[in-house]
Amino acid sequence: MRKIKKALQKAFPKVELSVGLDDRGILTLYGECASWQQLVDIGHKAARLPGVENVVNELRVAGQRIPQKDYRPLRDAGRSRGLAADVDVLIIGAGITGCGIARELAKYKLDILVVEMSGDVATGATKANNGNIHPGHAEKPGTLKARLNVEGNRLYTRWAEELHFTLQRCGAMGFITSRWLWPALLYGYIKALKNGVEGVQLVGGRRAVELEPGLKRSAIGVKGAMWLPTMALVEPYQVTVALAENAAENGVRFWFNCTAADILTEKGAAVGAVTTKGIVRSRIIINCAGVYADEISAMAGDKSFTIHPRKGVIAILDKARSPAYDCLCDHVTFETVRRTLQKSYTKGGGMCYTPEKNILMGPSASESPDKEDLSTSARELAYAMGRGDETIDYSDVIRYFAGNRPADYSEDFIIGMSPITAGFINVAAIQSPGLAAAPAIAGKVEQIVAAAAEERGEPLERDPGWEPLRLPQPEFRHLSRAEQEALIRKDPRYGRIICRCETITEGEILDALRSPVPPASIDAVKRRTRAGMGRCQGGFCQPRVLELLARERGISWTEVTLKGEGSRILLKSNRPRAEGGADK
Amino acid sequence: MKRVEIDIAVIGGGPAGLAAALKARELGAEKVLILERNIELGGILQQCIHDGFGIHRFDKRLSGTQYAQLFIDAVEQSDIAVKLDTMVLEIGADKTIYACNKSEGMLEINSGAIVLAMGCRERTASQVLIHGDRPAGVLTAGAVQRYINMEGYLPGSKAVILGSGDIGLIMARRMILEGLAVEGVYEVMAAPGGLTRNLVQCLDDFEIPLHLSTTVTAVHGRKRVEAVTVAQVDGAMKPVAGTERRIECDLLVLAVGLIPENELSRAAGVEIDPRSGGPLLDENFMTGVPGIFAAGNVAVVFDLVDYVSASGEIAAAGAVNYLRGKLGEEKSRRPVKAGENVNFVVPQRLGRECGETTFFLRVSSPQKAATLSCCSGKKLLFKKRCRFLAPPEMLTFTADASGGDELVIALKEEAGRR
Ligand SMILES: Cc1cc2nc3c(=O)[nH]c(=O)nc-3n(C[C@H](O)[C@H](O)[C@H](O)COP(=O)(O)OP(=O)(O)OC[C@H]3O[C@@H](n4cnc5c(N)ncnc54)[C@H](O)[C@@H]3O)c2cc1C
Ligand SMILES: Cc1cc2nc3c(=O)[nH]c(=O)nc-3n(C[C@H](O)[C@H](O)[C@H](O)COP(=O)(O)OP(=O)(O)OC[C@H]3O[C@@H](n4cnc5c(N)ncnc54)[C@H](O)[C@@H]3O)c2cc1C
Repeated sequence: MRKIKKALQKAFPKVELSVGLDDRGILTLYGECASWQQLVDIGHKAARLPGVENVVNELRVAGQRIPQKDYRPLRDAGRSRGLAADVDVLIIGAGITGCGIARELAKYKLDILVVEMSGDVATGATKANNGNIHPGHAEKPGTLKARLNVEGNRLYTRWAEELHFTLQRCGAMGFITSRWLWPALLYGYIKALKNGVEGVQLVGGRRAVELEPGLKRSAIGVKGAMWLPTMALVEPYQVTVALAENAAENGVRFWFNCTAADILTEKGAAVGAVTTKGIVRSRIIINCAGVYADEISAMAGDKSFTIHPRKGVIAILDKARSPAYDCLCDHVTFETVRRTLQKSYTKGGGMCYTPEKNILMGPSASESPDKEDLSTSARELAYAMGRGDETIDYSDVIRYFAGNRPADYSEDFIIGMSPITAGFINVAAIQSPGLAAAPAIAGKVEQIVAAAAEERGEPLERDPGWEPLRLPQPEFRHLSRAEQEALIRKDPRYGRIICRCETITEGEILDALRSPVPPASIDAVKRRTRAGMGRCQGGFCQPRVLELLARERGISWTEVTLKGEGSRILLKSNRPRAEGGADK
Repeated sequence: MKRVEIDIAVIGGGPAGLAAALKARELGAEKVLILERNIELGGILQQCIHDGFGIHRFDKRLSGTQYAQLFIDAVEQSDIAVKLDTMVLEIGADKTIYACNKSEGMLEINSGAIVLAMGCRERTASQVLIHGDRPAGVLTAGAVQRYINMEGYLPGSKAVILGSGDIGLIMARRMILEGLAVEGVYEVMAAPGGLTRNLVQCLDDFEIPLHLSTTVTAVHGRKRVEAVTVAQVDGAMKPVAGTERRIECDLLVLAVGLIPENELSRAAGVEIDPRSGGPLLDENFMTGVPGIFAAGNVAVVFDLVDYVSASGEIAAAGAVNYLRGKLGEEKSRRPVKAGENVNFVVPQRLGRECGETTFFLRVSSPQKAATLSCCSGKKLLFKKRCRFLAPPEMLTFTADASGGDELVIALKEEAGRR
């Protein structure tokens, strides 16, 4: 411990630090530093020291109030509601991680409840990422991230087949235009081999151009490339909705607008949680709370890591800008190599596209203390846009947004049964490639739950009624004219286009509104159907979507929200209304 | 799939489409069809309940709905076919139209000529680089207008308006009349974007302040707008540090410009003029694809509906002549150039024997007095003295532009009148 303190003092001589180390190798840092960035730097430095497994960062920043969520009123409200449910498994958080786990555990005879503090699935990091199913070549060999990324990538094929979401195996290529950069490719190749990336190849210039004809069009002399055929693209919210719907069809319950505010333990074992909808009894609690996972773990008496949100801003371009390449291409240059060599934890920058062929620029990467700050700034947007080519400018941007990566200081996933509180499972620090790894993460958690059940002498039993398939939903825009004609004949509601920019029909919106996990806000409809995602950003279709939402949910127009509680779009009616009940 | 054969297909039933259909029928086209995705004709005019429409054409101040109704009535009395609630999905380069609706399913429409009249859409917050949070309560002026005038709901109680174009000004007044507070109108440019009459009638009369060279830089509020930051901008339109001001409000209304809806046109192979945002047009308002014409705001953002209707009639006359084989496939179209202080001119090119042609143009910067000239080489075709010119007010003139070479249209400031 003295060594650790010394090393930190040497690196940060101006900071008064005190440290504590427990027998698990969890280092807790106390003291005051000058800035948030410095606080994060100290955490990272500490996590790399020998003997340190992970870091709990209790440092303060001089003169800066670090936002803290106050669970007390939520806890009191929940307690006063009394017992609300008694289940076998409680999952906290309905991002890709929580929904993936719920879906996989649904194959057993288990009563599963997912609580989510926002009004929908996929509202955390899961809605604001690049949708890349990375091959797993970029992760540090030997890490959990690397292993689960490669495995998750492979498992996506099965998920896509069973759940019917779009998965495009576009492949990726890092290419060089200078012979001198072969060593960089070779280095990447060896790393990819170490991680077990399937199908990775080093290819010469001619073969590279064969694999990606776009390289010929752009008339750059390609000297060689690393080809990664398993790279794939998804719409992250589409995957998450599919998982949640399939889980719900197999009996999993979802409670939205429900915050977990405390974990209840007895004799070192989890027995339940206090949520804002009341007390939920459960002997298995799975913490998938994204940026809040450290706080949930602390509630369970297991303070063993700290999440420091790392914001990423992404810009979406108009579909009129089509991607230059079919696969994701990365030009490896001396400059990019230099940047990689500089110690950095970000997976920032770059240009990719979505399965719908919108180009994505970014993300940026910046540390900020506020877990709910998703604001954007000119600086961050400029960073996100900076890695494109000269032909792209701001007039192509139809939307930009931010997501917070739930990073810890060891910069690896934390997945496992808590050694302090039995039955409490952390699935935390799921930053990039958390989306790519999701099926493997779910599989790993499934094993942990099964082992715990085995240990208790109540092994998990398969539910014979489990249905892994989710029926495909019609997507009008992807059908041929003849198929569209047939669809409208079957149900005329597919003949009315609600969202002009993305060609989304009333039928598709109604399908979503009547699905097992129905959307409750305009943005939730947008994530399920794409209505409002196009270049006009809902300018034309929002009133129509709002009307359908109000009608299907049996609420008045003024109760419809953009993105959940507190975000009403219309404040009041300006004319007398007879029908439709009370308008407040 | 249902197949339809038609002489002229008009895409969009706003004022441009209505005028085009009526004119085409009047000039003798037999089978004219209007395709409109809304459940009624009239386009954007159906949400414009303020007056000021038809001043040039009817010498009357009508509301948008009244203006539209005159045309709708005429269409209803004619044998022009109308398909409502029908969305055009695609126009092929061979002019085959695919459209769909609930009752007929997918339609394949073959027509002799097409008039594009799809109107325009509004610029959004991301397109003007507003930062900060992305809560409820940020809406375009057109959306606010729709909610208030057509759906009957108020989307806020205290508004800040960004953009002093006509739509922004009209909505400022409308919101005051509906009992909302309007904190002010902010305009990034040094001059207002709307017509003078709207500045007087919508802002001055209601004592709503207009802040020029000022923009909204950020939105605050994670769920619903709580405030915005405004800042002054320098000559390069960059916010000036230190001039930021936070304004409490719960609604940000964006009136930051219109974009012609040319996605269908592009896919059909129509070439777009980056300056006007609409197709490159000739004197008949025909695009670069023979037989495809454009009218109204899809051709160029007009500010007065009277011009919109006029453009529909030009396009219709062209379409009828095209059907009759009277428009030779002229390869040698002469360019029309925007000269001094002219931002753009429509049409952008002319046939050799174009005859009497109406030009629509916008100036680049305000001028108190100037001489408009239209020259073909050394030859002066048209000359007119103009006063109080500003970019928001479209200029129009008609001249015989037959013969000669490329045309240059320019506005020379009159000496000593600065
Ligand atoms: C800009 C950016 C780009 C990225 N790009 C990629 C990429 O291309 N490929 C890739 O694989 N990964 C990428 N990632 C990472 C990926 O997005 C995440 O790993 C993944 O979404 C994490 O999912 P999650 O479910 O663990 O977390 P989240 O989606 O954040 O879900 C956590 C959920 O828990 C809820 N919650 C929190 N506290 C409570 C509580 N007390 N009670 C109830 N509910 C609670 C939250 O509301 C939230 O919905 C990117 C991330 C960012 C930010
Ligand atoms: C808020 C506001 C205030 C205004 N105030 C005034 C004023 O005071 N005085 C004045 O003179 N002018 C005013 N105008 C301008 C005038 O209303 C417009 O210039 C005019 O409506 C444009 O006519 P249009 O036919 O080109 O387009 P629109 O009116 O927009 O009509 C286009 C039509 O095409 C349809 N359409 C588009 N795409 C398709 C498709 N793929 N398939 C089927 N149908 C399609 C649309 O549904 C729409 O009905 C105002 C405009 C606005 C928005």
